[in-house]
Amino acid sequence: MAEALTLLELNNMVSEVIDSSFTHSYWLSAEVSEVRENRGHCYLEFVQKDEFSNSLIAKARGVVWHNKWMLLRPCFEQTTGQPLSAGMMLLVQVKLSFHSLYGYTLTVNDIDPTYTLGDIAKRRREIISKLKEEGIDQMNKELELPRLLQRIAVISSATAAGYGDFCDQLNANEKGLVFYTRLFPALMQGDGVESSVIAALDAVMNDVLEWDVVVIIRGGGSVSDLSGFDTLRLAEHVAQFPLPVITGIGHERDDTVIDMVAHTRVKTPTAAAELLIHHQEAELSLVDDFSDRITGYVERRLADERNRLNLIVGRMPAIYTLFHQRQQNRLMQITSLIHRDIVGILQTDKNKLDLITARLPLQVNARLQNEQHRLKLISLRLRAVDPVNILKQGYSITQVGGKSLRSVSQLKKGDEMVTFLADGKVVSEVTEMEKSKS
Amino acid sequence: MTYEKAMKRLEEIVDKVENGQMDIDSLSATLKEAQQLVAFCRDKLTKVDAEIKKILEN
Repeated sequence: MAEALTLLELNNMVSEVIDSSFTHSYWLSAEVSEVRENRGHCYLEFVQKDEFSNSLIAKARGVVWHNKWMLLRPCFEQTTGQPLSAGMMLLVQVKLSFHSLYGYTLTVNDIDPTYTLGDIAKRRREIISKLKEEGIDQMNKELELPRLLQRIAVISSATAAGYGDFCDQLNANEKGLVFYTRLFPALMQGDGVESSVIAALDAVMNDVLEWDVVVIIRGGGSVSDLSGFDTLRLAEHVAQFPLPVITGIGHERDDTVIDMVAHTRVKTPTAAAELLIHHQEAELSLVDDFSDRITGYVERRLADERNRLNLIVGRMPAIYTLFHQRQQNRLMQITSLIHRDIVGILQTDKNKLDLITARLPLQVNARLQNEQHRLKLISLRLRAVDPVNILKQGYSITQVGGKSLRSVSQLKKGDEMVTFLADGKVVSEVTEMEKSKS
Repeated sequence: MTYEKAMKRLEEIVDKVENGQMDIDSLSATLKEAQQLVAFCRDKLTKVDAEIKKILEN
């Protein structure tokens, strides 16, 4: 049996082989599954997954030493707009080494951030084209911003300054415009972004009629992980949300997927507040404009009407003279008509009078004869009833106390009676009375 | 009355007025209506509605 090697001897042998065989650096394209910083060094885990099954088929440890990491990190973040984080595709220049204690390690000497940027962009494009396929990528953009943009549902981190800045900015507007805001808290970085923003959107959705607009904002200028905003599920929620969504996620370089599908995208929470203020200011000045136009019109119109009236008043004397002349002519016409009528009437009446005058004596004579005849008849009848004539025929009239005696019962014994005869009177005294029975 | 409706009505009035379709007799009624609408819209934009504030911000 050959002499056994110690582990160190074996590892050193492997190390020597690797060092002598892999003298150059290599450009490696791989996904990062883990990123960890410790004492200024950056430790990475590279993986490769099976294209179809997604299961791991290769894995290696990597490290960026402090002196390199100091330079590479700002360059990477500036270019990609994001910190190096798990899930990213990296193009790195590595040197292989084998350490007897730590094993196989890839030492990273350079990183090409444009590759990662390209990969992020590619992934975003894929999500967008998926949304296009679903026919929803423009849905939120097609919503009309309501004229009254006041009730603002804010999705933001409860701890970061973004929400406070946003509200301060809104409330400090010069025109005294009113806004109503409520915070729907959500994580704005890290792994929880997707699910917590979706949960916040769902919470807004519960009272969707109470709100005019949703604003998703994130404060602070520092670069942090935006990958949470680049997911298909979140993009689908934002695109299909029934209220317009305004994003102000606070990054300078490029748009995340939800920026692309949101109704309006601005860079910062402050810019989001300004957008809302401008919208409301425009609305207020429109109201003022309407008011000015209507008031102006009414004033002009009234002035016009006043002028018209003055013009008419100015022409009044001329009009009056004309009117007067017409009336006078009419009056004269009427006068002559009346005159003619009266003459006619008078003529007729005169004729009537003449006729009557001619007929009058005849009628009077006839009437006189008539009356004379009547008188004669009456006197004949009168003569027949004259008491003198009656007395002459042998009748007498007896009176008691000046009254004609017609009944025995008018008398009592001793009464004095005067009896009138045709040629005189006899006075006698009642001595006896007898009433005839009948 | 909603803000959108009020603004739509104001627009109508402005159109009507500026197209000279307004007779002098209805002028004062129209002006009165417009002023009420303007006041309503301005209030909506610049006055805090305590009711809304209570519902939304708590």
